[in-house]
Amino acid sequence: MRGNVPHRRWSGGPAGLLLCLPCLVVLAVFGYWPTLRTAYLSLHSTDLFGRPTRFVGGANFAALVTDPTLRQVLVTTLVVAALSTALATGAALAAALLLRTATPPGGRIASLVLSLPFAYSTAAASATFAALFSPAVGVIARLCTSFTGDPGPGWLTSPFWAVAAIVIATAWYEFGFTLLVLLAALSRLDREVLEAAALDGAGELRTAWAVVVPALRPSLLFVIVTQTVTGLQIFTQVQVITKGGPGDATHTIVYELYKRAFGEGLPQYGIASSLALLLLVAVVAITAAQFRLTRSWT
Amino acid sequence: MTAVTAGRALRWVALLVLCAVVAFPTYVTLATAFLPPRDVAAGALLPDPSHLTLDNVTNALDAVPLLHQYLVSAAVVVVQAGAQLVTASLAAYALVFPPWRGRRTAFALIFATLAVPGESVVLPNVETVSALGLRDTVLAVALPYLCVAYPVFLLRQAFSTFPREVWEATRLDGAGHLTCLARFVVPIAAPQLVTAGLWSALAAWNGYFWPLLITDSTEHRTVQVGLAQLVAGEPPTGVVYAGTLVVLLPTLVLVLLGHRFLVRGLAARLT
Repeated sequence: MRGNVPHRRWSGGPAGLLLCLPCLVVLAVFGYWPTLRTAYLSLHSTDLFGRPTRFVGGANFAALVTDPTLRQVLVTTLVVAALSTALATGAALAAALLLRTATPPGGRIASLVLSLPFAYSTAAASATFAALFSPAVGVIARLCTSFTGDPGPGWLTSPFWAVAAIVIATAWYEFGFTLLVLLAALSRLDREVLEAAALDGAGELRTAWAVVVPALRPSLLFVIVTQTVTGLQIFTQVQVITKGGPGDATHTIVYELYKRAFGEGLPQYGIASSLALLLLVAVVAITAAQFRLTRSWT
Repeated sequence: MTAVTAGRALRWVALLVLCAVVAFPTYVTLATAFLPPRDVAAGALLPDPSHLTLDNVTNALDAVPLLHQYLVSAAVVVVQAGAQLVTASLAAYALVFPPWRGRRTAFALIFATLAVPGESVVLPNVETVSALGLRDTVLAVALPYLCVAYPVFLLRQAFSTFPREVWEATRLDGAGHLTCLARFVVPIAAPQLVTAGLWSALAAWNGYFWPLLITDSTEHRTVQVGLAQLVAGEPPTGVVYAGTLVVLLPTLVLVLLGHRFLVRGLAARLT
């Protein structure tokens, strides 16, 4: 019977498919089906129970642009995603470059301290910042009072500072992951190139700018894309720190989706689904662009 | 020479400032979690060692049933991460070793989901889980995530380094696919399996949006949702900080001990 084993091996048989099946079933039910269902719901209006009733075409998507509240949601999301990504990436790049030349005992401790945010969940980070930013009794307000005699900005009462609070909390939370990625990338850099640059008499700053940063380009692209994608999906920070307020000032795409679909008001699955689909398309587009850009570099 | 020394000193100062800023929230959490409310209200940033207390921690554990929710989260981690490792090992093996019709399609279907943001599919998933009658159960928290693409990706990369001739030889000796996977492939890929397991466990423990949506009763909620409710219900006293610390502790230990494995996962993603 052993004679026909090689033949069976090459013709495959159902084994491969069977082994992949658990994975494919879960992804079909909880990944592909809901994507199709979201697309369907986004083209319909819904009744009091959120059941689709009438085909409305692109009306829900048109509302995303024409409705001032929804337009504001998109703007807020973009602002929060862009600013927190810039802040976290900038700080992490600076930290990675400083750590690169830091000598062992101090450098090791510093890199451990700087990776602390990575241990936090969004809920733990949000809880911490909610406590830090809270008016009057929050640590930041108290620090401001003791230095300037004034409790400082109304973090949760001014629309501007509420967005700033979300940006700061998000950037802090993202910083740990970003730094770990950049440190992992740095450790794989070609030592010879760096040593050649040093022998050429290039100073620290020049080496960093002319050799290290260009070599980190693919990793920088990776962290910027990852953070932008996470930034577009911000929810926990908003729900825990500002509850979307003051007014609607810190409503992001996912928070608005949550409010429309599961909030106190009547469920608006149509609008919620169009927000979800917009998010999906944006994320897929960004990921595809990253993929093409990375391929063109290698 | 003095310019070089000055430059070095400046870099250490910059690093120190950065460390102070980044560590500040964690420092406040630690300093406040073990202080009595009186000291917290007085704004003691340098804790008085003689005032240290565990009251906040016990209060946080009682406030929402955080202790019970701890067990819920632990169960979610075991089920979710365990299932992810099993489904990912099977799929990665099928994608690397046996040639079969549809392999390329399966590959594309699995990895395309890497780009699908979890938040964008929650609405129909709530419908599906409710229709299955599983709403507000611990199983429902893990159900949509019993298989995700990232561990498949990590393990496929690891399995690809397994010598093909060895695989063919074991198959010719009559070993079945499952035997082959469990006895020969998995032991070789043990470090990457640990990496995949750590990432899966971290994601399962840290989840927030889905557990919030699919559970209603406090006893089926995870510790992350419980923490958010603790914040909503309390002024920011030591209890909130103590609760944060309690929730943070396992991941903090995981990150400190498993640092090497987590970075390996990141490095694999970069190539």
